[in-house]
Amino acid sequence: MKKIFFSLLPSITMVCYFLTFVSGAFASDDLAPFSGQKGTLRIAGGTAHIPVMKEAARQIINYNPDIQISIAGGGSGLGIKQVGEGLIDIGNAGRQATAEEIHKFDLNVLKWAVDGVGVIVHPENTIQALTSEQLQYIFSGKFTNWKDVGGPDQRINVYTRDEASGTRKVFWKKALAQGDISLKASVVVSNGAMKTAIAVDPFGIGYVSVGHIDASVAPVALDGVTPTLQTVQSGEYTVARGLYSLTKGEPGGLAKLFLDFIVSPTGQQIVADKGFIPVK
Amino acid sequence: MICRVSSTVEYIFLAAAVFVSLLTAAVFLFLLFFGLPLLQSGQLTELLFSSWSPGKGVYGLYPMLVTSTLLAVLSMLISFPISLGTSFLITSLAPLKIRQILMGAVRVMTGIPTVVYSFAALFLLVPIMRNIFGHGTGMSILTASPVLALVTAPTMILFFVSSLNKVPASYTLAADALGGSQVQKLLYVMVPQAWPGILNGTLLGFGRAIGDTMVSLMLAGNSPAYPDSITDPARTLTAHIALTMAYDFDSMEFKSIFVCGLSLYLITAILMLLFRLMTSHVSKNL
Amino acid sequence: MMRRFLEASVSILSWLCTLCLLLSLFTLVGFLFFKGGSSLQLSLIFGNTAPLDAILLKRQVFEGIFPAMVGTLFLIVGAMCIATPIGIAGGIYMAEYCSSKIQPVLNLAFDILAGIPSIVVGLAGLLLTILLHRYFRENIIPCLFISSCSLAFLVVPYLIRSTQTALESTAPLVRQTAPALGASQIQNIFLVLLPNSLPDILSGIILACGRCAEDTAVIMLTGVVATAGIPSSAWGQYEALPFYIYYISSQYTGPDELARGYGAAIILLLLCTTMLVCSLWVQRKITTILLYR
Repeated sequence: MKKIFFSLLPSITMVCYFLTFVSGAFASDDLAPFSGQKGTLRIAGGTAHIPVMKEAARQIINYNPDIQISIAGGGSGLGIKQVGEGLIDIGNAGRQATAEEIHKFDLNVLKWAVDGVGVIVHPENTIQALTSEQLQYIFSGKFTNWKDVGGPDQRINVYTRDEASGTRKVFWKKALAQGDISLKASVVVSNGAMKTAIAVDPFGIGYVSVGHIDASVAPVALDGVTPTLQTVQSGEYTVARGLYSLTKGEPGGLAKLFLDFIVSPTGQQIVADKGFIPVK
Repeated sequence: MICRVSSTVEYIFLAAAVFVSLLTAAVFLFLLFFGLPLLQSGQLTELLFSSWSPGKGVYGLYPMLVTSTLLAVLSMLISFPISLGTSFLITSLAPLKIRQILMGAVRVMTGIPTVVYSFAALFLLVPIMRNIFGHGTGMSILTASPVLALVTAPTMILFFVSSLNKVPASYTLAADALGGSQVQKLLYVMVPQAWPGILNGTLLGFGRAIGDTMVSLMLAGNSPAYPDSITDPARTLTAHIALTMAYDFDSMEFKSIFVCGLSLYLITAILMLLFRLMTSHVSKNL
Repeated sequence: MMRRFLEASVSILSWLCTLCLLLSLFTLVGFLFFKGGSSLQLSLIFGNTAPLDAILLKRQVFEGIFPAMVGTLFLIVGAMCIATPIGIAGGIYMAEYCSSKIQPVLNLAFDILAGIPSIVVGLAGLLLTILLHRYFRENIIPCLFISSCSLAFLVVPYLIRSTQTALESTAPLVRQTAPALGASQIQNIFLVLLPNSLPDILSGIILACGRCAEDTAVIMLTGVVATAGIPSSAWGQYEALPFYIYYISSQYTGPDELARGYGAAIILLLLCTTMLVCSLWVQRKITTILLYR
């Protein structure tokens, strides 16, 4: 086994160099500013952003392995706070930073995508539309059974996000009209975790960034409008928000290059590929 | 010359020991220092005895306190008999060969990472539980407790075995000479002699159960409501720290986790104090 | 009659309990291997980067657990570098120098430290970082160094305890020979007592390594992140296996990622159990090696 491996090694290496060469050749000019750069970039905060951040980081690191990029979740609240404290270079937020936050920390805000927050259920769930009132009743714990909204006689498993979540804030404000979210709801810590939880729970209901909705979960129409890229873009679906990246003061160094890359054509293509609406 | 070297070295050793024991105090003072503003403002009782509802400005830890205790007690109810039974087998009931194999297995079990148990249980036990209840997410106190029992059992077994083995040979040989069977020797001679050790091992196990984070974080569902039944999802103190540490450093949510940390510290310290008292009491009596 | 029944039932119940324990252990571990066995390939570790390039740090691994494995390795090395000297020195003090008056106090302190839940230790580490960041230097953030310190903190009582027990259990004959021949206490410790109890101390150290490798709660609060690559310095954020497993368990986006989670869990399981077996083996074997040399 070992022998085979070592005899294959030169060819594997060759293939890799070839791939590097090819990807280098096809890489657009948007990556060019990163050549010759060195250092670490720390990103944390909003979890809806993570797929885009990861893909961007992958492209940048493949282009220039001397750059280190660390990406963490934690929620929008954490992102804003930590960038303000100077613990990270770029803080992500799935909600608008409050005027107080911007003023207190001297934050610089960049909006690089538009996203919605959609209600999701298991794909086998027969409920595919709810009114805002029904939704509020479900999340406040007033409706506890799917038959209350015309479904099977099964208990509703409500999932929600932790308090640091920007997705939760937006959903609470725009979809629940600031109504209560039941304490009985199970708490998950990211958009990814929400999707995973709903995908395996036939009687679950939760909310997630529209960019994260795929075949493993089913979107629920709210007041007749299904949350999709198109409805968010057209403004029909109103539970929408921007995806922001924040820096303390004017971004500089790698942070500036990174943010420039996100709003460059290549970066915006990543944004679109990951299911969000580019701003440019 | 040698004298000076040896006294220097002795001071280095002393410094290490004192440093570590000071760390113990430092952790406590640290938590106290950060938690002091909350404690001073007289919110302690409110924090300890009300529910968690940040939207309404209430940051009570009562549900987590209850869940932590409930989960630890429940897991001990499972792991105590299992550990006791296994330690009986290892000390006397099983054939020699099996005893050795069992002992080896238990020792290796102490090294299995908690997060690995929880990971496997998340994809195996949680769906099963969901089917059994017929509702809910499958994540609940009841789901977490057997896994937590599995985590605490090896430590308890090793402790039980060592305290059963410490029973003086004069006792056990006397039982053998009187023609007692293995079970009789165990029940009427060894257990009455070793019960303080067994109690101590249980204290240790309880401390581990209440301090464990990953099992409850991954399997108990994390809902901050007061659990009405053990099939409800709920959040322990440890999981609460893990979930809330992400929050804004100046917020009440974040400050409340110092009270979490303090309570956990005090609970485990008291358990350890009991443990020490028991140990010294036992060694005096022997 | 009643007693006979009790005795018989104790025996049967003991067997049942043990069976229950082993069965649940094998079910969980077996499930892990059943689901994750197929993902145990080179690509699990290195993704689609060439292994040699990854190891020589020429290219960064993105779709593999290599950075997490390296992170865990760094954590173990870092924590043990801090904890071993302190732990052994403390253990020697406890066994050889400590007066019987302060011994109970120190003992209690070490016991309490050993009993503190790891998440509280992590919390203390996080608070220390925040303090240092605010009042000492701006660029101190949760990082590999802080995590190593906190982990060292977690295992130091174990090291003290194992060194102390190892030294105290030295046979009186061995212990008293050198002083009788005129050796100083320090010579006795370094030339006789320590070499004599080396296997036990070493096995304690390996156990502590295992603890560093598996602990999740501490590192979760002190700097581990989902994606970081290989940390370039001790002041950087990093990935680690146990956190990777936790992260994947809640946020996997597809079967590929989930398979990597199973793979990581198996690797961590193997790593920790190997260390444990090693420590047991060392305890038994080194004694004989030393004796027959």
